[in-house]
Amino acid sequence: MAYSNKVLDHYNHPRNVGSMDKSDPNVGTGMVGAPECGDVMKLQVKVNPETGVIEDAKFKTFGCGSAIASSSLATEWLRGRTVDEALAIKNTDIVNELSLPPVKIHCSVLAEDAIKAAINDYKAKSGVTAKETATA
Amino acid sequence: MRFYEALGLEPGLMLDAQDLQRRFYERSRQWHPDRRARAGAAEQQKALEMTAVLNDAFRTLRDPVARAGYFLEEHKIVSSKHPPAELLEEVFEMNMALDELRRGDESARPQLIDARDRFVKLLAEIDHGLSALSIQYDKSLRGTPDESLLLAIRGVLDRRQYVSNLIRDVEKELNVHVSN
Ligand code: FES
Repeated sequence: MAYSNKVLDHYNHPRNVGSMDKSDPNVGTGMVGAPECGDVMKLQVKVNPETGVIEDAKFKTFGCGSAIASSSLATEWLRGRTVDEALAIKNTDIVNELSLPPVKIHCSVLAEDAIKAAINDYKAKSGVTAKETATA
Repeated sequence: MRFYEALGLEPGLMLDAQDLQRRFYERSRQWHPDRRARAGAAEQQKALEMTAVLNDAFRTLRDPVARAGYFLEEHKIVSSKHPPAELLEEVFEMNMALDELRRGDESARPQLIDARDRFVKLLAEIDHGLSALSIQYDKSLRGTPDESLLLAIRGVLDRRQYVSNLIRDVEKELNVHVSN
């Protein structure tokens, strides 16, 4: 199966790989996995508590090229968004941006789930009651 | 349910292995195509089909895990889309160590062996849980079948699948890079 150029670009030059201190109260961590392929993805956001803006995002994904590209793209999109804007990111946005084929849609779902999990973790930590919970 | 019917059994999760085997041999003999060599084409066809069903039924029902999987399938209870959340952290760590080992860092090996051993132990616990739930469910069959137990079994089977894939993955990697 041929990967699109954008997937290849993210795959070969993943942005924002790494990790942040989980115990930092301003850091939200999302850890998700896909049962079909056993792939796991960790995505973290660092939020400015004053403004609610995501200042940094990091990820590490063990999985297929599409999952790596999806999470790499997600961290790019997350930086500079508010927490609520981040929750509005849909896996279909990722599918469109990366031109993922139908068999790779679950990889983008993984990225959306990871964003939601990270934001919810941050909200739970900072005492904000999560008004939106991860669907899917 | 076809597989149970083929062997003349009432559907249930607990089966006696010896009884199952006896039924399989008996019926296989009875339907053996050689015994119908002189029968009409339709008869012969039927014998072939029955033999195939008996084989599938026996192979599925003799294994408690495959049996439970079949039973749930027949009840239209499908796998969950989410892997066990409490394992993700550990799976992630294991993947980190696998990466190190692939890059030739032998110091990751003991950690991986530990992880493998833990997962193998977990698998045994899961199997134990499966049989406990199976016994419980079969008891409920005497009255109203307890569907919630089937959902619990679905969860156990999904976990089992996930954990045995992990064991397979780590074992593969441990064997490729044999230290000397
Ligand atoms: S194949 Fe599993 S995340 Fe892509």
